Amino acid sequence: MVAGLLLDGCASPHIKTRMTDFYIPDVYESTNGGYSGYYSQSARSISAPGGVDEVWIIPRNPAATPGNEETPDSSLLLANLGGGEIPMPLSHTDVNASLSGYIGAVEVTQQFENPYTKKIEAVYVFPLPHNAAINEFLMTIGKRRIRGIIRERKEAQAIYQEAKRQGYAATLLTEERPNIFRQSIANIEPGAEIDVHIKYFQTLDYMDGWYEFVFPMVVGPRFNPPGTTNSLGAVTYLKPGERNGHDISLRVEVDAGVPIKDFECKTHVITKSVFSSGHLAVQLAPNDTVPNKDFVLRYRVTGDRIGSSLLTQRDERGDYFTVMLYPPQEVGSLLRQPLELVFVLDCSGSMSGHPIEQAKAAVERGLCLLRPGDSFQLISFSSTASQLGPQPLEATPENVQRGLNYLRSLNTDNGTMMIEGIKAALNFPHDPKRLRFVCFLTDGYIGNETEILAEIRKRIGDSRIFSFGIGSSVNRYLLDQMAKAGRGAVAYLGPADDAAKIMDDFFDRISHPALTNIKMDWGAMEASEVFPREIPDLFPGRAVVLTGRFKGASNAAVRVSGNAANAPVEFEIPVGSIGVVANKGLPGIWARTKIADLENQDIYAPNPELPYEIKQVALDYGLMSPFTAFLAVDASDVTDGTESETVPVTIPAPAGMKTKTTTPDD
Amino acid sequence: MKRWLTILICALAAPLFAQELESQAHFHAVDIYADSGNAPLAAYQLEFSVTNVVTKIAGIEGGQHRAFRDAPFYDPKAMQQERVIIGAFSTDVAENLPKGKTRVATIHLETFGNTRPIFQLKLQTAADSAGNKIPVTVTCEEKKIQ
Repeated sequence: MVAGLLLDGCASPHIKTRMTDFYIPDVYESTNGGYSGYYSQSARSISAPGGVDEVWIIPRNPAATPGNEETPDSSLLLANLGGGEIPMPLSHTDVNASLSGYIGAVEVTQQFENPYTKKIEAVYVFPLPHNAAINEFLMTIGKRRIRGIIRERKEAQAIYQEAKRQGYAATLLTEERPNIFRQSIANIEPGAEIDVHIKYFQTLDYMDGWYEFVFPMVVGPRFNPPGTTNSLGAVTYLKPGERNGHDISLRVEVDAGVPIKDFECKTHVITKSVFSSGHLAVQLAPNDTVPNKDFVLRYRVTGDRIGSSLLTQRDERGDYFTVMLYPPQEVGSLLRQPLELVFVLDCSGSMSGHPIEQAKAAVERGLCLLRPGDSFQLISFSSTASQLGPQPLEATPENVQRGLNYLRSLNTDNGTMMIEGIKAALNFPHDPKRLRFVCFLTDGYIGNETEILAEIRKRIGDSRIFSFGIGSSVNRYLLDQMAKAGRGAVAYLGPADDAAKIMDDFFDRISHPALTNIKMDWGAMEASEVFPREIPDLFPGRAVVLTGRFKGASNAAVRVSGNAANAPVEFEIPVGSIGVVANKGLPGIWARTKIADLENQDIYAPNPELPYEIKQVALDYGLMSPFTAFLAVDASDVTDGTESETVPVTIPAPAGMKTKTTTPDD
Repeated sequence: MKRWLTILICALAAPLFAQELESQAHFHAVDIYADSGNAPLAAYQLEFSVTNVVTKIAGIEGGQHRAFRDAPFYDPKAMQQERVIIGAFSTDVAENLPKGKTRVATIHLETFGNTRPIFQLKLQTAADSAGNKIPVTVTCEEKKIQ
């Protein structure tokens, strides 16, 4: 239960929201080499300096029917290449996910085709979960399936470029961010179809009693402060009312192992085909197939309380395990100390409309939940940062009313100088009598993630960061990493979510102490290389996944110890027995988690050896990483013709978002 | 039991290139065949490498028979030495498995330099539908580009 101050302004926690139409600028930009281009009336190429692929700009059909608020993206984008009006080269994406316990195995098929009269290279920038262990890549041409090879990234790029130059069909998958990937398909002949299959494993999140499966569908635009780089390259967005003909189908099957009590999907219309004791199967409804927002499926299983559990898997490389730690029940019964709450609102252009209204509604609710003895501060950032006052204010009714007035006065502006918000939030002196929580409410559409995370690590002190992702296609990598760096937790507020409920859950969470300084005693398991190396604190309602290797006994007790409100807490985890196949994805999940851990080290304590180490882990386990890439070449045939034009796949804007101010030159 | 192990070097005795290789980088598609005689082939594992030129493996394609049409998996550790260890199996009944010579995979690769590549194959194991090891001859042949 939560309690708060009674104020006139707090009577209605819900700020009325409105949906707005999209606005996408007629520009794309990459600062990787510093080039940009604008749509023109005929297709033209831009040679990008710095080794970036040549980028083609395809004009759009000026007669495309504009959409309206009820049916955005309802028309078809037509591109003009060589005089004819024809659709774009990515026709369909198919997703099949199998969830077993808290492990997901996901297969993605992207269907490319060439509707033009000339040979093309298609380039598609798309998102996947940042914890995805991508370990399979196949190119299908007709009935022929060619398995892609994981290679060192530069080597793969060189082979791809040479194959492209010589006229062979080839595909290349590279990682541009931990959650953003680039698919390149060379030498698609006119009328030809090439499918690309990707498979990955991931662990699911567990929040407030719900397991959550997320499949991101679209890359949001990224704001790059002057002086930062962005390697995303050719990302072009549809205009309001346009569609590129690309649709998506998605199926999810859940084998929970225990009875499923309930499930929900607030992001999409789904149809259910199976819902029995421990089994659930759902799919996207035929009328909700535009890939412009994250798909989020949540389910919960029966039982008042879920205990921590451990899964093991053996393969030729050794024994692996994952453990999902849940906080013990007794932690939730302890009461909280006075709080110092700092709300930091992203008021950049990409938050315009529904997202900023959602964020304001959440903060308003938060202010109303403060108790006497707490203090608070409000900070907003866009091109610059501003705040309610120089110091945190006591949570008196008068001050909270001041805060509400300030909140209501905030408007969105160009630019996302998040670094200014970070500095403003973490710079002022901390009151040691209160627990300081910094709440960032943002869509995370920035390109300088590493700079942001390094700044948080540098300035965090005694503060904890709780990040709130606002919008339909949030940069979940950044939000998750901010919470990790800030020893807090993350929550997501989608367009259909109740802002007040999200804030109520947050107050529930911080109203009880976290289990801190967690230590694992692996006993006779003899565990090693357990990641993440720094075990996050356990908050009520949240789980933490650890993964490692072991060479000892499988049936020994594993003990967890820590502190809650300065009192020691200890509990035990039951261990499964080796030989029982838990999940064949565990080795890949372990390797991906190790890579993520090394990537974090590279952000916070750069070391020239780290890239080599990351690359070696990725090559040994056949995984995508920033330093490896999947490559497939069909060397059995040379395609006709010598010229090939590069066509970037134009993508829809994230649902509910205006993007007028997402590039610095706007 | 090693008698069934076959080591074969495909030296491309009959040159597929009528002329000297001209540029530095060349792509090749090499078909891999397994001949199990009268025994139904249910599983195999083999190693493929190029012995005389710098090589980059660029793709592995499935075979001709339905039982081996899916692209075989490879050992990522071996791949780092530009050796391909591939294997595949089918759980289908013997009647639905190939006998005699069948293409089980195609290796797509890039070589460098003007020397014709020499391909080497080592069969590591092969089995029938009952799980018994069987003698199998493996050969390779570079696909002629149309």
